[in-house]
Amino acid sequence: MSRLLSLDQVSCHYDTKSGSVRAVDQVSIAIHPGETVALVGESGCGKSTLAKVILGLAPVTSGTIHFDGIATHTFDKAQQMAFRKRVQVVFQDPYSSLNPRLRVSTILGEPMWAHGFKGDLVKKRTAEVLEMVGLRQNAKDLFPHEFSGGQRQRVAVARALMLAPDLIILDEPISALDVSIRAQILNLLQDIQDQHNIAYLLIAHDLGLVEHASQRVAVMYLGRVVEMGITGEVFTHPEHPYTRALLSAVPQPDPSVKRNTDLIQGDVASALHPPTGCHFHPRCPHADRRCQEQIPPEFGDNHVKCWLSQPARTEIKHPNSGQ
Amino acid sequence: MNQVLNVTDLQTHLFLKRGVVRAVNDVSFHIDKGETLGLIGESGSGKTMTGLSLLGLLPKPAGRIVSGSIQLEGRELVGLDDAALSVEIRGREIAMISQDPMTSLNPVFNIGEQVAAPIRRHGYDTQEPAASMAIEELRRVRVPSPEERVKDYPHQFSGGMRQRVVAAMAMGCRPKVLIADEPTSALDVTIQVQFMDLIQNLQAETGVGLLFITHDLGVAASLCDRVAVMYAGRIVETASVGDLYSEPLHPYTRGLLASVPRIGSQRSATSNAKARLYSIPGTPPDPLNLPAGCAFSPRCQFATEACREASPPLIASENRAVACFEAKP
Repeated sequence: MSRLLSLDQVSCHYDTKSGSVRAVDQVSIAIHPGETVALVGESGCGKSTLAKVILGLAPVTSGTIHFDGIATHTFDKAQQMAFRKRVQVVFQDPYSSLNPRLRVSTILGEPMWAHGFKGDLVKKRTAEVLEMVGLRQNAKDLFPHEFSGGQRQRVAVARALMLAPDLIILDEPISALDVSIRAQILNLLQDIQDQHNIAYLLIAHDLGLVEHASQRVAVMYLGRVVEMGITGEVFTHPEHPYTRALLSAVPQPDPSVKRNTDLIQGDVASALHPPTGCHFHPRCPHADRRCQEQIPPEFGDNHVKCWLSQPARTEIKHPNSGQ
Repeated sequence: MNQVLNVTDLQTHLFLKRGVVRAVNDVSFHIDKGETLGLIGESGSGKTMTGLSLLGLLPKPAGRIVSGSIQLEGRELVGLDDAALSVEIRGREIAMISQDPMTSLNPVFNIGEQVAAPIRRHGYDTQEPAASMAIEELRRVRVPSPEERVKDYPHQFSGGMRQRVVAAMAMGCRPKVLIADEPTSALDVTIQVQFMDLIQNLQAETGVGLLFITHDLGVAASLCDRVAVMYAGRIVETASVGDLYSEPLHPYTRGLLASVPRIGSQRSATSNAKARLYSIPGTPPDPLNLPAGCAFSPRCQFATEACREASPPLIASENRAVACFEAKP
């Protein structure tokens, strides 16, 4: 299967007064057409920065991003416009991502106008998209405040769909919504994907959601992807101690599941002064000296960045050889 | 009987320009010594207003307790004036931890002063310097090296540590009841588990009765002994955690539990087939414009004429109760 988007050793470093922050540190992931790849991790791990890097809203310090086989830094103006048309985003909070002074017809029209579409074409597409997201046609005459949170998120999804994109970045798309309507939006996103073969990059901290909605998952910790693979495999056989800790920390809606706090201690380290070697070693119950000193390479099919996953006969995969 | 807190038929209204919101509608519950009662509900369901009613901290002038009773170890709190509540109850007998630790702490005072403040306020150990009282309390909530950290300011603490400081402030006067309003929602999961452990340890040490307000069904399952589910100002179901999660009775509770994606339940490691989640149709009602009868009836697949005409009472049987004409306990 051809790759829609691939990131190769992409880093994004910010220079601050107190030093360089490696918000995204040599991340390689790929997204194929029509699939959902999830990025999970705690706040500050760089998952939203990675989304910004893909969208061109944050700088690529090193590494390359390919979209449909073409490196994004070599784009000419026409290619740049085409890229922006084909990659859209839905943000977490539909209260702040929609302009309160614009009617829905304008909110939905803007992306099309920006790409030179006019008149009846925009009206027709608006009607189609409102139908797709399950809003009534008269919604186009309303303002965002006239909708409930769930409906507002439908408007935000509609806006992302206007230009018929190939990839939508979903940055915590349901976490700002009421619990009883999260499933509605989730099912809507799934239906849209099934019908239109749109790829999703799903950024989430809710692991239940990630398992339900994604085919592949990348686990991030302090700017690095520490494990990546088929979602079902990663969730049933997590290898990296951080993945294991994260999975065991999620409170399950089942009182018979006991909390397990043995797998993780302490706080996430500062991104300004990340630990040496493996970033996770100060919190890891298995860490030894090598973990403190050397950054682990990727081992195995799930690209596990942990010395513990090193096979007995050392076959260190070159980090570029995986996808 | 070991009840520290007993709330009966509590009605709290918010008198707004646009109308009256029945934020807390006929709510009754009790909390035993050392017990954790979870109050689950969506935003706007009245769970925070229930907590604020207990403390007399309702938004002024809109919020008022209209009727009902709140008894703390037999002492009636409804009707007490603000001065009495402030001196005798708030922070001393009933304390609260709120969601965002950054806004619960004052950025211009150091942690030591803030942790000691409630203890001083309520007149305990006034001879002792603030710092040494605070060190003891911070050690209790397992803040590392408390001797050094008392001089630090809130911005120098991580989110998880800040919430521990807030817990130290709340527990300083050894309250009988602790209201924790979404205390873990702003924390990352790996920090959240540590905080839940801490809360449980503090409870085991002090026997405080805990009212744990949350919208997260996972957190409630992990921490609570009993759970009360709120919808549109009313408690629609109460049960022990075991009963509620294994056999939810109210259609709202059932829908809620069915609509949460869970780890490990959806598929095997090899299959990648996508299952659809159950979703509750419709949206939560407008609190100013509640539907007639059962507030959940417009979203309920079992609703009958009776449900649209009258609001079902909370019927108790044995250890659980449910407010639904169709579901029998």
